[in-house]
Amino acid sequence: MGWARLPRTLGLIVLVAVAVVLGTGLGSVTIPPAEVLGALWRGLSGQEALGSDVIVWQIRLPRVAMGLLVGAALSVSGAAFQGVFRNPLADPYLLGVASGSALGATLAVVLEWPRALIPVAALVAALGAVALVLALARRGRQFPPTRLILAGVVVGSVLSAASTALILRGQDRARLVLSYTLGDLGFSGWRDVLTVLPYVALGAGTLLALARALDTLQLGDLTARSLGVPVERLRLLVVIAASVATAGAVAYVGIIGFLGLIVPHIVRLAFGAGHRTLLGACAVLGGAGLVLADLLARTTPLSQVGIVTTLLGGPFFLWLLRRQHD
Amino acid sequence: MKSTILISLTFALSANAGATTYPLTLQDDLGRKVIIKSEPKRIISMLPSTSETLCALKVCERLVGVDAYSDYPAQLGKVPKVGDLFTPNIEAIVAAKPDLVLISKDGKLEGPLTQAGITVFALYPVTYDEVFSKTLTLGKLVNREAAAKTLVTGMARDIAKTEILTRSAVNRPTAYYEIDPTPYTVGPKSFLGVLLGKAGARNIIPESMGEFPKVDPEFIVKANPQLMLGLDRQAAAARPGWAGLQAVKSGRVIDIPAELGSSLSRPGPRLPQALRGLARLIHPELFR
Repeated sequence: MGWARLPRTLGLIVLVAVAVVLGTGLGSVTIPPAEVLGALWRGLSGQEALGSDVIVWQIRLPRVAMGLLVGAALSVSGAAFQGVFRNPLADPYLLGVASGSALGATLAVVLEWPRALIPVAALVAALGAVALVLALARRGRQFPPTRLILAGVVVGSVLSAASTALILRGQDRARLVLSYTLGDLGFSGWRDVLTVLPYVALGAGTLLALARALDTLQLGDLTARSLGVPVERLRLLVVIAASVATAGAVAYVGIIGFLGLIVPHIVRLAFGAGHRTLLGACAVLGGAGLVLADLLARTTPLSQVGIVTTLLGGPFFLWLLRRQHD
Repeated sequence: MKSTILISLTFALSANAGATTYPLTLQDDLGRKVIIKSEPKRIISMLPSTSETLCALKVCERLVGVDAYSDYPAQLGKVPKVGDLFTPNIEAIVAAKPDLVLISKDGKLEGPLTQAGITVFALYPVTYDEVFSKTLTLGKLVNREAAAKTLVTGMARDIAKTEILTRSAVNRPTAYYEIDPTPYTVGPKSFLGVLLGKAGARNIIPESMGEFPKVDPEFIVKANPQLMLGLDRQAAAARPGWAGLQAVKSGRVIDIPAELGSSLSRPGPRLPQALRGLARLIHPELFR
C-alpha cells in the first residue's frame, strides 16, 4: 500500500469507526450517549446490566457485527467474481446462491418448520444450487466462464420460479418469505453472528489468499497459464469460496442486493484494481456500508436493509460513474 | 342493561328495514359506481369474511362459488372453489354464470370480469367500524337489509357483553400482539388493535406507527410489555435480548390457537367470538 493512498486508507478506518459508533448509539429507541458508554463499560467489566444495556448488548452490537460480516462477505465475493469472470457486472449471486437459498427458506416456511431451521434449509439449498451450476457448466475438467454464467442464470430462474409457485400456494405466510428475500438484519443475535462467522472467514480468507493469482488472471487465461497459474482450479476455488461466504451470509439475513456489485467498483475507483488492496478494502467498506444502511432501515420507514441498499446504492453509483467521466 | 338492548334491538328492526328496490346503484370500495340490476341469486364471493357474512344473512345457498380460503361455516365445503384473489380461476367464475361477484381491494379480478359482462362489487373491511358498515352494505346488495341490521345489532350486543366483563378487570396489562414473526404488529386503529383494547389490554404500539406496522425489536424490548400474543414462549425467549423481558419471564407469552386465529383474522360475523376468545386469553380470571 503506497503513501499516496494513506488519506484514503485513513478515510476507510474512520468510516468503519463512525459506522460502528452510530450503529451502536442510534436506533428506534433513543439512548443518550453517556448511557450507551455506561452499558458498554458495565458489560466489559462484568457488572449488573441496567435498563437499556440489553438493547445495546443483545440487539445493537450483534446487529452491527452481523452487518460488518455480511457486508464484507458480499463485497469480497462480488469483487472476486468480477475478477475471475473479468466481468464488471458479476455479483455474489451470479451462480444461483440467492435463488437457491430463497427456495430453501421458502420450503422451510411453507412446510412450517421451526424458525431456527430456516437458515439451515437456506444454506443447504444455496450450496446445492451452486453445486448444480458447477455440474451443468462443467466440460471435462474445465469450467468455461460463459457456461458458468449461463448455467447460473438458468438455474437461478428455475429456482426462483419454484419459490414463487410455493409462495402462491402458502399465501398467508408469504410475508415471511418476502421479508427474507428482501434482506433483513432484524433478529441477529450473537449466536447467529457466531454461526455465520466461520463461513465468511473461510470463504473471504481463501479469496484474500488467492489475490495474487486473481491479478495474474486479469492478463487473460493464456498468459496466466504460461505464468504457471492453474486457471481452471483457481476459477473453481474462487467460485466455491465466494459461494460459501455468500451462502452463509444469505442464509441468516436474506438477499441484500446491490452491495456486492457496487462496492468493488467504488474501491477500484479509490484504490486501483490490485486484488490484494481491492479485496481488503472491499471487506472494510462493504461492512461499514451495510451497517450504515441497516441504521437507516431501522430508523426510517424504509424498514428493510435490502430496500435501502438498492434504493440508495443505485443513484450513488451512477453519480460516481458520472464524476469519473467529467 | 337488558332492557336497553331490547329497546335498541326493536328500534333497529323497525327502522325502515324494508326490501331493497332494484336496480340499485351503490359505490364500492374501489370507488366505482356499480348498478345491481336485480336481486342477486347466483353469487360468487372471493373473500372468506364476505362468504361468512352472506351465510350469516341466510343466503348461503345463493353462493355458486367461493375462494379457496372460504372454509367457514362448514356448509361452504360443498360450494365449488374458484381459486383465490391472486390466482383466480376466471374460466370457472364465468362458467358458473354469477349475477354478482364480490371481490376485495386486492387482485386483478375487476377488469376481466367486467369485460365478460359480469357485475363485480369490491367490499373490504379494514377498520373496526367498517366490519359493521360493510355488513349493512352487503345486506342491502342481496335484499337482506333487515337480517343485516339484526346481525349487526346482535354483534354489537355480544361485544358489549365482553366489554362489560373486561372493564371489571383489576389490571389492564400492556401487550404486544404479533401477526407475523418478521415482526409485524397491530396499531390501535386497526380492527385487531380495537379488539385488543376491548379485550382488556393496553397496546404498546402508538397510533402514529400506523395500522399494521413492522417494528424494530429494540422498541419492544424498551416497552417491555407484560403480555405477548401471537407467538410462543420458546420463540420469544430465543430472540436476542428478549429472554429477560417480563412477559417471557412470567410465562405470559401466548400463542393464538388456530381456531381463534381464524376468527381473529376475518373481519366478519365471528368478531364477538373472536373478542371473547381474546379476552379469555388475556383475562382468564374473568371467565371462571
